[in-house]
Amino acid sequence: MTMNRRSVLKGMAAGGLALAASPFAGARSAFAAREKDLNILCWEGYNSAQVLDPFRKAHGATVKAESLTNDPTMINRLRAGETNVWDLINVNNPWARKVMYPEKLIRPLPRETFEPYFDKMLPQFKPPYKWAMDDSGTELLGMCQRFGPYSFVVNTKKIDRKTAEDVGWDLFNDPKLAGRYGILESDDWNVFGLFVVAGIDPFKKHTPDEMAKFEETAKRVFKGAKLIGDIAAMNQALISGEIDLHLTGGTYSVSPARADGYPEMRGITPLRGPMAGGKGGIAWIEVTSLVNNPQLSPLAETFLKYVQQPEVAHTVAFAEGTYNPVTQMGNPDCFKLFTKTELEAIQWDSLEEDMARCVEYDIVPDYDQALDIMTAAKRVRG
Amino acid sequence: MSNAMTETTLAGAPEAARAPLSARFAALWAAAGVRCAVPVVVLLAAGFLAPLIAIFAYSFAPPRSFDVFRAFSLANYAELFSPDNTVWLSFAWSIGFALVTCALLAVISYPIAYGMVFLFGRWSSLVSVLFVFPLFVSENVRLYGWVLFFIKNGVLDGSLKWLGLGGAPEVLYTPGAILAGMVYTYLPFMLFPLTLGLSMVPRDLIDAARDLGANRFQIWREVEVPLAMPGILIGMLLTFVLAIGAVSEAKILGGQSVIVISHDIEIAFTYAQNWPLGSALAVLVTAFIGALTLAVFARLDLDRLLGRR
Repeated sequence: MTMNRRSVLKGMAAGGLALAASPFAGARSAFAAREKDLNILCWEGYNSAQVLDPFRKAHGATVKAESLTNDPTMINRLRAGETNVWDLINVNNPWARKVMYPEKLIRPLPRETFEPYFDKMLPQFKPPYKWAMDDSGTELLGMCQRFGPYSFVVNTKKIDRKTAEDVGWDLFNDPKLAGRYGILESDDWNVFGLFVVAGIDPFKKHTPDEMAKFEETAKRVFKGAKLIGDIAAMNQALISGEIDLHLTGGTYSVSPARADGYPEMRGITPLRGPMAGGKGGIAWIEVTSLVNNPQLSPLAETFLKYVQQPEVAHTVAFAEGTYNPVTQMGNPDCFKLFTKTELEAIQWDSLEEDMARCVEYDIVPDYDQALDIMTAAKRVRG
Repeated sequence: MSNAMTETTLAGAPEAARAPLSARFAALWAAAGVRCAVPVVVLLAAGFLAPLIAIFAYSFAPPRSFDVFRAFSLANYAELFSPDNTVWLSFAWSIGFALVTCALLAVISYPIAYGMVFLFGRWSSLVSVLFVFPLFVSENVRLYGWVLFFIKNGVLDGSLKWLGLGGAPEVLYTPGAILAGMVYTYLPFMLFPLTLGLSMVPRDLIDAARDLGANRFQIWREVEVPLAMPGILIGMLLTFVLAIGAVSEAKILGGQSVIVISHDIEIAFTYAQNWPLGSALAVLVTAFIGALTLAVFARLDLDRLLGRR
């Protein structure tokens, strides 16, 4: 046998596949008896014991949930072959309809069973709800629960709410605020935010001039940031007075600080901006879908029904980590479970108007290029 | 007797070489040591080699693809070495931080190690425990603790203001804070190899040098440092390898005022979803550290260090 690059690659391929398959070998053999197994790939919250333990107990089930904090990673886990592993995937709104269903990574839900749940949700989620449906409007692709506006956060004792909403994203163009703001480490959302700070709609294909403007903005905004960090770091810096505002944030990120007794920290939705309809805010809505797993656990649908229950929906809203509004707040039985403090933490007072000022999170067609530019901008800030 | 054995062995060697492969394998398998080593070999292959092979293979996959083992491309390396790419800045920061951390730790740890070996007597165990104790607490928790200490209106700033001393200087979110965090985090990893190295210096040699008229500096330069060098080198290597991969200090204490190479790798694997590029970066870092390790170990006599001869 002669050795050449092709044969070496073939050998590597065989070895690699064997290596890659080995961790799941046990899982495959267990698929025959999946009635009591459920695997969930999700944002944090659904993996908490408060949400999962009652379900485990009620069904005698082994529920495994892995939480990640960005959508592309989760989608690529399915693309890499983990559709054999997961039963449910919980990501933000555009991915089910625009990516996962066309790529056959998820499967539709029985519409007659699940659509009635949408009837009880807040008014903007009444069926057929766009992001829960496929492009043709016939298939129900997932269930909606947590959502929220997500633009930026200010300490209203330093910059009042009215000014922040009126000046909007231009706060980050103000040289006087250099060194007084932070940037949340949430790179996909920062791409959106920096486009908007540059006065450009993020959710479209961009011209070279727009990309050049984006690059200039990214370098300037990163250079002027006091710090970049996670949610805990942002809230800590806001409370201590290190910063007065931070880019990319909203109910999701600031609610823990508000719940801890700092109601002056507030997610702001600007009055106007460069996005469709002159809107200034961006909102996210989670959609939880059935993975196109050849041996899908029957508990997947059971779990989707379980989290629609008023008590469980309330628990999901206040699961560990971050606190968020849930669509089930449209149901009076669910809404009455929220205390005044909890409603304040999730900025219920302005939720409706904030959401009305938002476009919904979408996929940026040239995200890869923009992210590379942004990462390079971060490198040169030091 | 000895000659006879040598002859037998020498005569047997070509026989073994001519034996069929299966017979040689059977002979190898018959050795108890080989059979006992199998679990370790399997564990190392699965847990250590497999991820390395996967990363290496991914680095040759087309950018932003998952075509590992199915396609071959040098595009990731070409991108990393492209003149437009600024990733060298992250490399430079990481190597710079690691070098300075090593140098500072060598200077800081040497007197402590010297004290533990020669001066503290029965108290040296207690000192060791004090340095080991923080390792029981997660690194991130300890670093967040430092943030609370140094943050505006935090422990230090608040206390100084309360005392009417005007508050603390701003040290957080700077490269200096990152360096301080790294020195703090990696101190034990330099201190204990140094202590081991210094404990290998026979007291008699120091006494002899002093009796022969050497002054303190000469003893340090001619006796202590050369004999403790294996420990010093291991400490520096350990610290350097850990520090070059450090990311928490830059994120938590530095507020990402600089992007280190591990953070670049993390971004490639997460937000960018460019596993091949992240793998190529990881391969370059691994190759750099591997070459350095080999260079250091070429100068080290581990058997001597571990007291086997």
